[in-house]
Amino acid sequence: MPNLPSKKEIFLTGLWKDNPVLRQVLGICSTLAVTNLMVNTLVMDAGLIFTVCLSSLTVSLLRKYTPMRIRMMVQTLIIASYVIIVDILIKAHLPDISEALGPYVALIITNCIIMGRCEAFARNNPPLASFLDGLGMSLGYSLILIVIAFIREPLGFGTLMGIRVMPEGFVQWTIMIMAPGAFFTLGILAWITKYILPNVKNSEERM
Amino acid sequence: MKKQLRSVVYMFLISLFFASLVSAVMYFNEKKIASNQALKLQRIILKVLDIAAEKNTSNGQISRWYTERVKDIRVGDRILYIGYEEDGHTILGYAFPVGGPGFWGPIQGIVGVNPDATKVLGIAFYKHTETPGLGGRITEDWFSGQFNGLRLFPIEGDQKIFYLKPAGTTGAPNELDAITGATNTSSAVEAFLNDELDYFLKELWTAVEERE
Repeated sequence: MPNLPSKKEIFLTGLWKDNPVLRQVLGICSTLAVTNLMVNTLVMDAGLIFTVCLSSLTVSLLRKYTPMRIRMMVQTLIIASYVIIVDILIKAHLPDISEALGPYVALIITNCIIMGRCEAFARNNPPLASFLDGLGMSLGYSLILIVIAFIREPLGFGTLMGIRVMPEGFVQWTIMIMAPGAFFTLGILAWITKYILPNVKNSEERM
Repeated sequence: MKKQLRSVVYMFLISLFFASLVSAVMYFNEKKIASNQALKLQRIILKVLDIAAEKNTSNGQISRWYTERVKDIRVGDRILYIGYEEDGHTILGYAFPVGGPGFWGPIQGIVGVNPDATKVLGIAFYKHTETPGLGGRITEDWFSGQFNGLRLFPIEGDQKIFYLKPAGTTGAPNELDAITGATNTSSAVEAFLNDELDYFLKELWTAVEERE
């Protein structure tokens, strides 16, 4: 592997420069689905951070032994196992949230960020770097989801984390609760950050 | 050939390891999940019987009320919950599980009726795999709340106990709002719930009346 970028750089790439939601446009389904409530968003984030980090780590640890032709099968198995574990833990300890998130927890399996990181990074890089890459990417995802939820929940429900933040008599924007509200918020966010994020050329060089 | 064998053995071992891991986590959490589900069912039964409709009633309070005021009996292969007034012996209503095919998968719910089974006290759906935000809205209060007070009668011919119609086109008291954007889920609910209510009135209710 030709000179690996520094650990800090790997982490920051996922967190910001190559943000999975804004830059790679991955994990959009769950972004739209859970961000109408901050609590759901945080649980989804925690689930994703757990799954991405551990999947990347495991795939990286096994990278020298996994036969090339069955690597995707192995990755899917690893990811699915971790997601089922998250699902069981949420069902057991956070039943209300499990109710609210419904099928979305199980759908973490299909979040492209996870397999994307396994394929693009973890299977060619050492465990620590892979773990950090996963951490950066999942935190980058989490960051954007939190920002979107921070906009959607107050406007849609007039609350934040279930606590009323909008003044009495505030007319709730029903559209913010529904998927279109997320589309608008995400679109505007991507538009604004386009000018803040380093330009595409830089990130291509690094790849 | 050797390579292929290696792949098979490798996949087998990896699967074995992760399957054991998942089983272990499940093993240690099974009881907790089961008790959560039991509690959820109790909460719903209390809700459809209108004993505790508040969402934020504590779990302890729910199971206390449940033990004090609800009894379950078997009628044939079905279960029937009897709800009592605060005094502990006046019957407040009956609740029974209903279920049937939804659009994507089975839907399960509980229906509460008044003591002479002429009116619905409440309905709640608690298990389904309908699309969140569309068919999944059957669990929302505005939808299930419409059934409160619905008049019950045994079906004759091709009449129905209730109809789900597009919102805004409903007139008669037994015409309720369907879920916009979830026509298939709505018609599935209309079909199986009418059957289940009818079954209750014709089969279970007779058994209950004989019992008294």
